[in-house]
Amino acid sequence: MSDTRSGLLVVAEEKNGKLSNVTLESLTAARELVSGLGGPLSVALTSGSSVDALVQQAAAYGAERAYVAVHPELEVFRSGPYTDAAMAAIEAASPRVVLFANTASGKDVASRCARRAGVGLLGDATRLYIEDGGLRVSHPCFGGTLIVEKQALAEPALVTVRTNVFDRTESPATIQVQELSLDFTPSGLLARVVEVVVEDAGMASLEEATIIVSGGRGLGGPENFAMIHELADALGAAVGASRAAVDAGWKPHQYQVGQTGKTVSPKLYVACGISGAIQHKAGMQTSDYIVAINKDPEAPIFGFADLGVVGDVFQVVPALTAEIKKRAAAG
Amino acid sequence: MEIVVCVKQVVDTEAEKKLLAPDWRLDRQSVENVLNPYDEYAVEEAVRLKEAHGGEVTVLCMGPEDAQSAVRKALAMGADRALMVTDPALAGSDTQGTALALSGALAGLTYDLVILGIMSTDAQTGQLPSALGDILDLPVLTALNMMKFEDGSLTVHRQTDQGYVAYGCGLPAVCSVVKGINEPRYPSLKGIMGAKKKPLETKDLAELGVDTARVGGAGALTKVLSTTAPPPRKAGQKIEDDGTAAQRIVEFLAGEKII
Repeated sequence: MSDTRSGLLVVAEEKNGKLSNVTLESLTAARELVSGLGGPLSVALTSGSSVDALVQQAAAYGAERAYVAVHPELEVFRSGPYTDAAMAAIEAASPRVVLFANTASGKDVASRCARRAGVGLLGDATRLYIEDGGLRVSHPCFGGTLIVEKQALAEPALVTVRTNVFDRTESPATIQVQELSLDFTPSGLLARVVEVVVEDAGMASLEEATIIVSGGRGLGGPENFAMIHELADALGAAVGASRAAVDAGWKPHQYQVGQTGKTVSPKLYVACGISGAIQHKAGMQTSDYIVAINKDPEAPIFGFADLGVVGDVFQVVPALTAEIKKRAAAG
Repeated sequence: MEIVVCVKQVVDTEAEKKLLAPDWRLDRQSVENVLNPYDEYAVEEAVRLKEAHGGEVTVLCMGPEDAQSAVRKALAMGADRALMVTDPALAGSDTQGTALALSGALAGLTYDLVILGIMSTDAQTGQLPSALGDILDLPVLTALNMMKFEDGSLTVHRQTDQGYVAYGCGLPAVCSVVKGINEPRYPSLKGIMGAKKKPLETKDLAELGVDTARVGGAGALTKVLSTTAPPPRKAGQKIEDDGTAAQRIVEFLAGEKII
């Protein structure tokens, strides 16, 4: 452990030219942590061209120092060069704690940084706090049936943070910017970006969604997802699907919520025609509120839904969409 | 093309899981164990690449002796041989320890490509593929939903929320694949019978030259302080739809200030 380590570094993720929600949530949570850890709140920013907008946004969320990696090789995510950039920031900032996003890219880079730094990685944190001067994290295991409390045995403590768990609030700070000098590992550059393809620009991130409307086997066929999309549009929600619906080919795998799909923690989860088997429950039971509509009164989902409606999804879902729209129109 | 697929045996996704004191490891005794569902996609992709381009598929599995059944399933799906890394010192390994042990095993194998599932369904960390790739100093391509090999080079699609990023890469490389990249085959009876005759070798850490101090519970770089089972989520109200369910849902949502 180095005595000179201080503060906390957030390795940022960018989305459509802005910091992603989980980065803003990490910065917000980190503001409280640095008062216990001591030292500055820093952010690592990566871009192919310019990070000016990201620096301003990070400052608005309380970052006091920005470690900036700008290089044409960093235009699009690649595991190797992004790991090199994150490691350069970790070395320059010499923090006690590093927060990454618990996303596919965040996990990819965090795991390699842990390997290079010779330290452990605390994954999928949903609670961060200081005890005896050091960081503790909690993360739900097996879909939230167990909460595991962990600590790192060496510093820097590397952590990935779950999306949509912490608040996002601004608290402006004055930020100092330091450009990093980069030395890319040759093996990482062997993977070349061919193209970035947007297939479904309307597809909202399930992990970031405040409300999710999901459909399952009870919908009977892919065409009936139309009413799920209509309800989701009325609620400003993202659309999800159960494993049964995905395995039947009604929706691509990106939509799947559950143990072999995405783990989500929205404010509201509306399950339509989903029985609520363990493997689905594991992906959504940390939602704040669960509303379930299913014709089978014995469906397991009624055992943990806050509001369960025993009824026909083909009646209830369109009626609910109409009610929501009516309410919105009434202002 | 020589391919190594790394697989893990996990507790069945439909089973209730628990951790056992004093060191909070998963109880694997009282439940059914299966080949990690994500690894089925990795095995299938490897077998398809072999069928198209020749070579052999080696299954690499770190785990106790009884993880053999998961390995046999991979062999039944069409992999050619297997190497199991089994050593009591590995119990309690974190991802970094696992990556180190697997890299030790890979040092004795010939391979152009290493394929893994995106994560295990039990630990769900998703940290292993990139940690392993980092040790091996190879290009790492994770979360792939398409892999193609042509003219000595890989073309892959990495899944994103709204589509994908296409990458090109020569071999060797380390890749992780997501559910949906393919439709894993059910092993045929012939495949299951044949799997019993395929070579399966077991090595311990000494044979692989891996330092036991850096793996297992002893080498773990994080520590579990406690585990608590939060009170199970309770059922709220349950109503029968009498034609007013939609209004009642709206009232509930408005009452909780969700809408």
